[in-house]
Amino acid sequence: MAGLATTFGSGAMTNSINEIEQAQVILAVGTNTTEAHPQVARRMLDAVDRGAKLIVIDPRRTRLAECATLHLAIRPGSDIALLNGMMRIILDENLHDDLFIEMRTENFLALRDMLYRVDLAEVEVETGVPRDRIASAARLYARAQKAVICYCLGITQHICGTDNVQSIANLAMLTGHVEKEWTGVDPLRGQNNVQGACDMGALPSVYPSYQPVADPTFRRKFEQAWGVTLPEQPGLTLLDMTHSGGQGAIRGMYIMGENPMLSDPDATKVEATLRGLDFLAVSDLFLTETAQLAHVVFPAASFAEKTGTVTNSERRVQLIRQVIPPLGETWPDSDTIMALAARLGYPMPYESQAEVMEEIALLTPIYSGIFHDRLETGWGLQWPCWGREHPGTPFLHKYYFTRGKGHFVPAQPIPASELPDDDFPLLLNTGRVYHQYHTGTMSRQCPTLTREADRALLQLNPADAKGLAIRQGEMVRLTSRRGSIELAASLTEEVTAGSVYTTFHFHEAPINRLTTAAADPKAKCPEYKICAVRVEKVSP
Amino acid sequence: MSSSHILKKDHLIPLLRKLGKAYRLVAPMQNRHGDTLFAEVASVETMALDLDHQPQESLKPFLFPQQEVIAAYEADQAGYALHPRYAAPPPTLYFGVRSCDLAAILYMDVIFSQRTREPHYLGRRHNTVLVGLNCNAPFPNCFCDATKNGPFSELGADLQLTDLGDRFLVTAGRAQGETIVSRWPQFFSAAEEAEIKKQYQLYLEARGGFQRQVHVDLAIRRLAEGMVDEAVWQQLSLRCQDCAGCAYVCPTCTCFTIVDQPRSATSGERLRCWDACTFAGFTRMAGGHNPVEPKKAAIKHRFLHKLKYDVEKHGRPSCVGCGRCLDICFGGTDIARFVELASEE
Amino acid sequence: MREVLTTCVYCGCGCGVYLREEGGRVVGATASRNHPVSRGNLCVKGWHLHEFIHDPARLTTPLLRKNGTLTPVSWDEALDYTTAALGRLKADHGPDSLGVLASAKCTNEENYLLQKFTRAVLGTNNIDHCARL
Repeated sequence: MAGLATTFGSGAMTNSINEIEQAQVILAVGTNTTEAHPQVARRMLDAVDRGAKLIVIDPRRTRLAECATLHLAIRPGSDIALLNGMMRIILDENLHDDLFIEMRTENFLALRDMLYRVDLAEVEVETGVPRDRIASAARLYARAQKAVICYCLGITQHICGTDNVQSIANLAMLTGHVEKEWTGVDPLRGQNNVQGACDMGALPSVYPSYQPVADPTFRRKFEQAWGVTLPEQPGLTLLDMTHSGGQGAIRGMYIMGENPMLSDPDATKVEATLRGLDFLAVSDLFLTETAQLAHVVFPAASFAEKTGTVTNSERRVQLIRQVIPPLGETWPDSDTIMALAARLGYPMPYESQAEVMEEIALLTPIYSGIFHDRLETGWGLQWPCWGREHPGTPFLHKYYFTRGKGHFVPAQPIPASELPDDDFPLLLNTGRVYHQYHTGTMSRQCPTLTREADRALLQLNPADAKGLAIRQGEMVRLTSRRGSIELAASLTEEVTAGSVYTTFHFHEAPINRLTTAAADPKAKCPEYKICAVRVEKVSP
Repeated sequence: MSSSHILKKDHLIPLLRKLGKAYRLVAPMQNRHGDTLFAEVASVETMALDLDHQPQESLKPFLFPQQEVIAAYEADQAGYALHPRYAAPPPTLYFGVRSCDLAAILYMDVIFSQRTREPHYLGRRHNTVLVGLNCNAPFPNCFCDATKNGPFSELGADLQLTDLGDRFLVTAGRAQGETIVSRWPQFFSAAEEAEIKKQYQLYLEARGGFQRQVHVDLAIRRLAEGMVDEAVWQQLSLRCQDCAGCAYVCPTCTCFTIVDQPRSATSGERLRCWDACTFAGFTRMAGGHNPVEPKKAAIKHRFLHKLKYDVEKHGRPSCVGCGRCLDICFGGTDIARFVELASEE
Repeated sequence: MREVLTTCVYCGCGCGVYLREEGGRVVGATASRNHPVSRGNLCVKGWHLHEFIHDPARLTTPLLRKNGTLTPVSWDEALDYTTAALGRLKADHGPDSLGVLASAKCTNEENYLLQKFTRAVLGTNNIDHCARL
């Protein structure tokens, strides 16, 4: 979310999910919405039924793309070129919003100068999208009164993820499509509480509410509240930890409810790191691939066995409520953390989760009006919520951006970290399927979901398959510079020739043994969407 | 056969209090979040009875739960043994049941007793008293006039209520209803001619209150004549997002699957879970072959079942016009949309 | 049967969902009709939200690796072992030799407590989670 934070000052969905259905034009970039965010897709389709235009930018012909007014099937990784091309056309045809640019933004001249150097013929070659289609998309988006851009990991999981996001923000600001209801830029969050975990400061460089640890003012604030001296240096990011090699910087880890063995890129390195640790403790519902490597495993209570809050994509803080007592000897994670803290000489005697939230409200400005009793009735509160009487905030950046003026940051196309060559001629893209979720820890224990999707499939264009003499359903070996797995082929026009696609849900085909840990230098988001691979028949 | 009585609204809560002592009482209640659901009445004092909104689900989850343990099993080298488990619910009175949900229960009665008598459903059903409530004002998505089982109906209810303003006209349709009237006669008085006439007047008015025109009969005829274009199924299947929500909220969808869940190496439980014919796994065979082409044919099958096969078999469609699948559908592939597409010449 | 409103645990949409409880077991899941996100419906994962809760593969006791094998132990033993190990590494190699992964699947309160634990008790800012994955 570094991209939006730089341009708008706040890295979150600017709208509420319900606003999407009132938009006149929806630009969906790098989001397989029908499978990964069904409720958002439902609003998009409702909007289409009301006459809205849907533009989908995706290398794959997803179901959403089939429902679109315009599908731009770009070459993977050419998002910036395409967006710059759209902006150049908007500028040339005078479709930009002068007043908005003047009143609400800064650094426009830098963007303009960069756009004047964009060659539309080159854009056509680079993106593989005909110029007239790029122009149609640009005109549709720019001319709308109410236009929403939704993007997801197809934008961020690139080496140029931050620049991708900034290009999207540039496009929205250029046309004045921010800071209104039914109009905005909406990153969709992949997991139920990504937003909340970030808000709570489960990040190496910031305390709750994105207050930097390196800033002495904030450090003093938390030192005072917690009664301890706090470390000054920002910490290591996830990949720095899980790729540290075991006997490197990190020697002991505590992992709560995550499964880096399947979820992190270049998983062979992750395994070497975890195996090499002096100590690993894991808390989870199931004995995950990561927990299997641990020295200590804590059995965690599930969401049905505890109380707490989670924050969704549209910044809505909601309760999860206890339905049954913890099963067996499981404990809610909060109890485990408190017990560890007490044993290490720092008691955290909270009587309830509501009391924890009271401390959060005290130290986290955007949550300062959020208390459990306010969440008991109604449907939660959307941050920022500045006090007990504050009703929450359905859409951001009304009247002004969080950072004051929106800041244009021109972005140039950046090549992917690894491109196809003779040895690895195909591009691998990874993502999710509708019936499964993340590393499958929960969803693969659901009989109905497992019946619908119980194994990894490699989507392969029939033209490529023909060249390799691979038939529908046949087992193939997929190899990158980092590893090799076997899985079944699914021949489909959904992927273009030269590209293959699969998911990371299944431990039998751990695709992240193949993906690259090359990451965006600012957001540290790994390039899951592009690496070079080859496909071979598995000889019988 | 049926007899008509008057119950003053002032006496409704006192009557429910008496009924609550004799039965487990289930009624539509609005919870603190604002949703209206059928729920067990814990206290008549504090119950937030809501007769103004359609309960978001039918009684299906009570009579045919989403997931239930139907047997325990043991298995070892020597063989296996199944020990059926029957839930034995207390006698339950469901209050405020609309005509669509009553019709759906009659349909489930047929499904669960037609070939073999299904003991889990019927066990609950036999312990059930149904108190119906006619709909003076249909809800926005309703079209039970088109499926011909509402908005007024006496079929299925032990007692049927009609709201006459300050009082209910009460019709005892079945023996259980008569039992209630005769057990607590102090609450009931004889209905007068004018009150019965008013009920018919309300019925006429209610029939004019539907906001949706869903030509179910036309779609049935076109399906019977094989006149529905293949493009219709194609269009619907493109939008279906495979959530199974339509089947799960449908009061007449009764498909289920059986799942064995091990508790140890030699024992476990057999679960019965709701299933949906729109899932690819519903028809896929063990070898991986699927005789029903995913999506398009599955969607087609769903609507044919409701509006063709059941008409052939039972003389009426198994859609009861409750409208629940309409505004929940992600992609707009609900039955009203189908009827609309199928009826286009 | 009792229905308790909660929030779905899968994607970032945050649907309002009722869990159905009967006899101490969660036996079903259904959408909230008036919830602003779910508006009466759930996706396929939401409708089957109850299915993993009572799965027999759930961990039910703490495990400690003994002679190479994860073995059931008491909470006290698991906690003591963990605090001893963390304390020893911190003393020998400094607080920055420890790393913590929080979770986008856990609650705000749990994430808050874990980052507080990491910073105030372990004494390092080495905390992150899989926001980018």
